[in-house]
Amino acid sequence: MIALKNIFKWYNTGINRTFILKDISLNVAEGEFISIMGPSGSGKSTLLHVIGLLDAPNEGSYSFMGENVLALKEKKRSEIFKTHIGFVFQAYHLIDELTVYENIETPLIYQNIKSSERKSMVADILDRFQIVGKKDLFPNQLSGGQQQLVGIARALIVHPKLILADEPTGNLNSKQGTEIMNLFKELNQEGVTIIQVTHSEKNAEYGSRIIELLDGRIVG
Amino acid sequence: MFKNYFKTAFRNIVKHKSLSFLHITGLGVSIASCLLIFTVVKYELSYDTFQPNYQRIYHVVSQTSTEDGINYTPGVPFPALDALQLDFPQVKTGALMASFGSQVTVLLKNNAQKKFIEDKGFFFCDPEFFQIFQYHWLAGSPEDLKAPNVTALSESTAVKYFGNWKDAIGQSLLLDNAQLVKVTGIIQDAPGNTDFPLSIVNSMATAKASNGLYFYDSTWHTTTSNFQVFMLLPQNVSESQINKGLISFSKKNYTENKKNQVLNFLEPLSEVHFDNRFENFGDHITEKSTLWTLSLIALFILVMACINFINLTTAQAVNRSKEMGIRKVLGGNRSQLLWQVIRETFLIVCISVLLGIGLAASCFPFIKNLANISGNVTFLNGQIIFFIFLLVVFITILAGFYPAFILSGFTPVTALKNKVSSATVGGISLRRGLVVLQFSISQILIIGTIVAITQMSFVKNADLGFNKAAVLVINSNTDSTMRDRFATYKQKLLQIPGVKSVSFSSDVPSSQNNWQTNFGFNHQPEPSFPLDVKFADEDYFKTFGLQMIAGRPFGKSDTIHEVVVNETFARKLLIKNPDDIIGKEMRYGGNGPWKTIVGVVKDFKTNSLKESIKPLAIAERKDQYFVTSVKLNSANISKTRQEIENAWNDYFPNYAFTSNYFEDSINDFYRQDNQLTLLYKIFAFMAILISCLGLYGLVSFMAIQRTKEIGVRKVLGASVQNIIYLFSKEFTILVFIGFIIAIPVSWYIMSHWLDQFVYRIHFSIGIFALAMLLSLVIAWLAVGYKSVKAAWANPVKSLKSE
Repeated sequence: MIALKNIFKWYNTGINRTFILKDISLNVAEGEFISIMGPSGSGKSTLLHVIGLLDAPNEGSYSFMGENVLALKEKKRSEIFKTHIGFVFQAYHLIDELTVYENIETPLIYQNIKSSERKSMVADILDRFQIVGKKDLFPNQLSGGQQQLVGIARALIVHPKLILADEPTGNLNSKQGTEIMNLFKELNQEGVTIIQVTHSEKNAEYGSRIIELLDGRIVG
Repeated sequence: MFKNYFKTAFRNIVKHKSLSFLHITGLGVSIASCLLIFTVVKYELSYDTFQPNYQRIYHVVSQTSTEDGINYTPGVPFPALDALQLDFPQVKTGALMASFGSQVTVLLKNNAQKKFIEDKGFFFCDPEFFQIFQYHWLAGSPEDLKAPNVTALSESTAVKYFGNWKDAIGQSLLLDNAQLVKVTGIIQDAPGNTDFPLSIVNSMATAKASNGLYFYDSTWHTTTSNFQVFMLLPQNVSESQINKGLISFSKKNYTENKKNQVLNFLEPLSEVHFDNRFENFGDHITEKSTLWTLSLIALFILVMACINFINLTTAQAVNRSKEMGIRKVLGGNRSQLLWQVIRETFLIVCISVLLGIGLAASCFPFIKNLANISGNVTFLNGQIIFFIFLLVVFITILAGFYPAFILSGFTPVTALKNKVSSATVGGISLRRGLVVLQFSISQILIIGTIVAITQMSFVKNADLGFNKAAVLVINSNTDSTMRDRFATYKQKLLQIPGVKSVSFSSDVPSSQNNWQTNFGFNHQPEPSFPLDVKFADEDYFKTFGLQMIAGRPFGKSDTIHEVVVNETFARKLLIKNPDDIIGKEMRYGGNGPWKTIVGVVKDFKTNSLKESIKPLAIAERKDQYFVTSVKLNSANISKTRQEIENAWNDYFPNYAFTSNYFEDSINDFYRQDNQLTLLYKIFAFMAILISCLGLYGLVSFMAIQRTKEIGVRKVLGASVQNIIYLFSKEFTILVFIGFIIAIPVSWYIMSHWLDQFVYRIHFSIGIFALAMLLSLVIAWLAVGYKSVKAAWANPVKSLKSE
């Protein structure tokens, strides 16, 4: 599903070139649950962003579902991104001005899905996550775990093939964290490919494969 | 989709209450200002456009070329009407003659009388006039005006006289206690935006038969602005064709004075309200430049509000970058986000427009009064709505597009990492540029306002050369038999305690009615400049405090022909020592009797201060006394005035008593300028206020952005003053840059404005320094509160929140 080949990413700081990612090659098959680990500054998040098409590498090739996405035009790339990838963040990144319902609905709006269809899709997912009663609340009225639940619901609403999670439990207590990780596991069993960045060995255990990064290189 | 966007937009507005408040009030006030200015400008431009033949009506005006330059007058000599009709058979030519301050006595059935003084709207004309200008006749027809002693009334005048216009037909009116006329027609009231405020229209034949009561002169060398001729050109005849014809027409007819060539030419009706070379019959002339200036201010105000909008929105973009980042991650593409921000702007603009309409509507009565808008001009109409629509589109694009472009352009990763700072928004230099622009505009307006205020107070306090205080001027336009009573009336007045002196004259020293004529001096060929003449009795000099610099005022006499001239007269004749002119002889009007110059009066302002002092002669002539001027003791003025009125009613029971204080009529000269200055002041203040709002918003935003920096600085030992300095430094520099731009622009604009005054102030460093100081104070005030607050904040707190 994902094939990264010789990916390099760097920043120019003065005369020096600071490498974030060095020669990363990685293949991910559909249905995998991968945990990316490594110390701060090892390039985990950047790798996730590259995979999620939010950031482009300086060098290397990337094929997503058989397409060479780096060569695609912006519009087409954003199309792939919109329909296949869902993002979950450590800081949830819900839109403060929108209610739970509207937050979940937003990605559908960007896919130009009709209002009635949107309604039933959002209703389904609210039901599934058992947050129907919270649908009219604003993010700041929810606990961290609940916010992350909304974040995941929002990522899932478009039925993505791939979920990218950047330390999804980083801001949560251990009980909430466990709930979220169980949810990911469930999703993975339903066939969604998941790539998560995590610090925690325990959370990494949920995955089927662990990739260790150090100073921008895959070390294990 | 729209719902979602508008919901976010609305919640964003509510969330950032203070910022939204700045946005909406700033924009609302500016929209209100624009709407009001638009209404005023539109009203002024609409004068007489309701005339169906508006584009084809022309006014025949005269210019006289003299050695001193060209004099313009809106009138033509009386015989010119017939001659024009004869020489230009292909066009319709008609005349309108005005009489100002005529008295109308309404003769009611039961022998009762009502007296009215008509300050304006009293006219004479032939039926031809109504072929050019079209009015709706409720009764009668223009053809009735062929006969002498008939009159037509406007509907409202008929109601004023008789209660109901239907009752007016067939009734009689006594004009100036001399001429009996019969009402034969009723004309529907014209709208307020006309320079032809017809109230009473008598037939021209009435004036011709009035034995000179309405000054009907059949010679070619007298021109009065009261007699104006208009032409209706057929479709196939152009203005230049007629103008060509008028050149030969003028050559043929104005043969009196070889040196002063008189030329008639056409002034389009569309210029009558705007060309200040030619007086009109309405109450004011508005120069186009005035309207442009106002429009420019409106544009300034709008631009400033847009600048605020752009500045605040881009500054705020930092706070919204996260939202934009998320939306991008959720699949929003750039154009979707761009439209979202534009929609938000649109929403804010719409709210502001509603506020603006509300504000404008509530201020409209005040502005209406100030701008002399008469008649029932409604504030909201089709054009205004279209204008509002244009405004909405214009502001949304201008104020919305740049922020939208910035906001939608964030890359999601940087936006989500909160790496966006005001510096990366890239707007810093742009924002500085816009603030400089804003400062320049507000400083131009400040300088303009200071110049206008200084000039107007200069005019008000200028040495006019006469004493305008406590002189009551009584309208005394009586018939000749009544004039015989003047002498005893004067004695009666002088007996009233509180009356210092009394004078009869044709005119007060300074007014806009002038009597100009050619003249002869010392039995030499006629000088090339025209002479202003005022007729007055011997007490004129005392009553108005005119000073003699040579000779003496003329004495009390009916027979001796003595005349007093002014300094300018002597100077124009190249006589250096005024004493040398004493004893010389002069005559005016080409063939009058020779008179001896007995005195030279110190120059006083004969006209408004926009014009230079004219050469003037003052002589006696009893039949030309139209006003009585009474110098009062300043104590107990109202009682004295009542006694003067009683005396008038005893002596002249047929004439209504109307009077005004000389000082008021002098101030009236500058009413337009004063009102204009007030309009400038109001809207300039608005513009400055709006720029302050923007500045305040920007600084409060800066304060939030720099909370951490200030905290760190304070921990490192910075004092409150250091922090305030940090804030004010940048804005002070911006004020200076703005100032440097504002100087040449305002200098250029305002010297043009000042050029229309002969007596004018000159630009001084003081004016610029004052403007500079004012804008600094304004900027500091706007910046001060927030920066002091930021400086006083506890550093521990501000660092913690990071």
